[in-house]
Amino acid sequence: MIEITDITKTYTIAGKKVVAVGKASFTVERGEIVSIIGHSGSGKTTLLSLIGGLTKPDSGTVVINGNNIWSMNDDDLSDFRNKTISFIYQFASLVPTLTVFENIMLPATFGVHGEDTAGYARHLCDVVGLSDKMQSYPSQLSGGQQRRVAIARAFVTNPAIVLADEPTGDLDEETEVEMIRFFRKINEEKGTVFIIVTHSTDLAKQTGRHLKMSNGIVTSV
Amino acid sequence: MKTGLTLVSIAVKNLSRKIIRTTLLLLAVTVVTGTIFAATLFISSMQNALKIGTYRLGADVLVVPEKNLAEARSALLAGEPASFYMDKSVLEKVRQVEGVKEATPQLFIKPASFVCCYNVDVFLVAFDPATDFTISPWLEKNIKKPLTGNEVIAGRSVPVIAGDTIPFFGTPFTVAGTLEPTGMKFFDRTVFMTMDAAYAMAANSKTRAVQPISIDRDKISAVLAKVQSDYTPDRVAIRIDHDIDGVKAIASDEVMNTVRKQLSGLISGILIISAIVWVLALLMMGFAFYMIVNERQREIGLLRAMGAKKRHVFRLIITEAVIISTMGGVCGLIGGAAILLTFKPLILHSLKLPYLLPSPEVLTELVLGTLLFSMLIGLLGSLLPAISAGRMEPYEAIRKGE
Repeated sequence: MIEITDITKTYTIAGKKVVAVGKASFTVERGEIVSIIGHSGSGKTTLLSLIGGLTKPDSGTVVINGNNIWSMNDDDLSDFRNKTISFIYQFASLVPTLTVFENIMLPATFGVHGEDTAGYARHLCDVVGLSDKMQSYPSQLSGGQQRRVAIARAFVTNPAIVLADEPTGDLDEETEVEMIRFFRKINEEKGTVFIIVTHSTDLAKQTGRHLKMSNGIVTSV
Repeated sequence: MKTGLTLVSIAVKNLSRKIIRTTLLLLAVTVVTGTIFAATLFISSMQNALKIGTYRLGADVLVVPEKNLAEARSALLAGEPASFYMDKSVLEKVRQVEGVKEATPQLFIKPASFVCCYNVDVFLVAFDPATDFTISPWLEKNIKKPLTGNEVIAGRSVPVIAGDTIPFFGTPFTVAGTLEPTGMKFFDRTVFMTMDAAYAMAANSKTRAVQPISIDRDKISAVLAKVQSDYTPDRVAIRIDHDIDGVKAIASDEVMNTVRKQLSGLISGILIISAIVWVLALLMMGFAFYMIVNERQREIGLLRAMGAKKRHVFRLIITEAVIISTMGGVCGLIGGAAILLTFKPLILHSLKLPYLLPSPEVLTELVLGTLLFSMLIGLLGSLLPAISAGRMEPYEAIRKGE
């Protein structure tokens, strides 16, 4: 489903070339949950952005469902992201002027989705335990609650791939377990691919496959 | 529960983020739009009044005694009542001038005192029904009969209605009708009567009036002339000046030009100030949206990650700016109109010029044009920031916004 071949991304920092991702190659099949572990600055987030079509690689290809995403024009790639890929970030990523429900519905604003997206959004609110906060604004929520809204938002468009960067960072242990259970449920029901960047060995243990990143190099564990 | 979430609704909600900044931007556009609207409405109103006044005058050239030129201009432009006379033979001489198609006499009479109950300065103008082409067409159209005996027609600002009786110099006159408003005092505060009635009134005033008036039957105040189609009023006026001693001919165009000259400095000043204020508002809007885009880099990156296209981001920024500028535009239109209406008496008093609101069509054009200018502030001011926001690479935007 996802074929990553020799993908490389370098940055120039203070005149010095830094390899964020160096010739990474691996594949992820439909229904897999893959974790990527590694130290801070090892290139994990950059790798997720390359797979998700957020930053262009210097070389190499990312092929998803037979489509080389970096050969698409910007509009097609945006459409592709909207329909196929979702991101969960390690920081609060809500729009402060929108309610919880509107934040969850936001991705649906940029594409054509099923008729009952709003119904599904309500269901997701319920799943993440925020059905009584749907009309609240992010400033009225705790950090953990905001993170749960971001998680719910990632699923509203029924994406085939979820790219999660430290998805349970702000959550308490109990909620983290609930969220992982929810990820597994979605994965089993819909075959959704999860690529999860994490420091948590507990979270990594619950994934089917582990990749390790060190100085931009990806290795299987 | 429907979200009804659209780019416009997101843009509207975004405006509430920094309410002070939004309010300041709104105020800036309001001031600019108010200034532009008030200025253009003011200029347009004056031009409209002059246009109607010149049309109402119905003559291409006005011939008056040379020594009374200033009074004649003052009477025409500011409606200042005046009395001056010249020999009736001028009428025939004007008719003989090359290019003159027809000519008619008028008498200008400044009442020494008006009737008991009204506190309005009125101006009496007498015309010759046999040759008149200024008042008579209006009479034919509206009253459907010529003035008879002691009947008069009153301008709109004279506080009378048809059927009223008003005395002048001891002679009672019956109001046969009133003219529609023009904004020019010359017409709005004038009572029109026939020359025969005026001469009779003057003759009778010796026995009837406290302050009698003397007007010989061989005297007139002005000759109004129409020129032939292949002649221009300017050219004929010059010829009259040359051919007839002791008179001065004023072309109707000249009336407009005189006012234009009087107004040109004022108009230039207003336009320059409006342009400067507009450009400043544009820069302010541009700078504010440059800051807004910078502040929201991460959010823009996140929207792009969710599938927002470059044009979605571009439109979101532009929509915010256009909403602010349109709201400011509407507030400015209301404010500008209110200020103009509030200070109208003061402006008219200081300029001594006629004023009349333009027609609904012109007014609509002015409103839409001003609104367009205000929207352009938002559109142009946010254009570069919006383009730059749309061009951001999503990952870079998310990282830089951290």
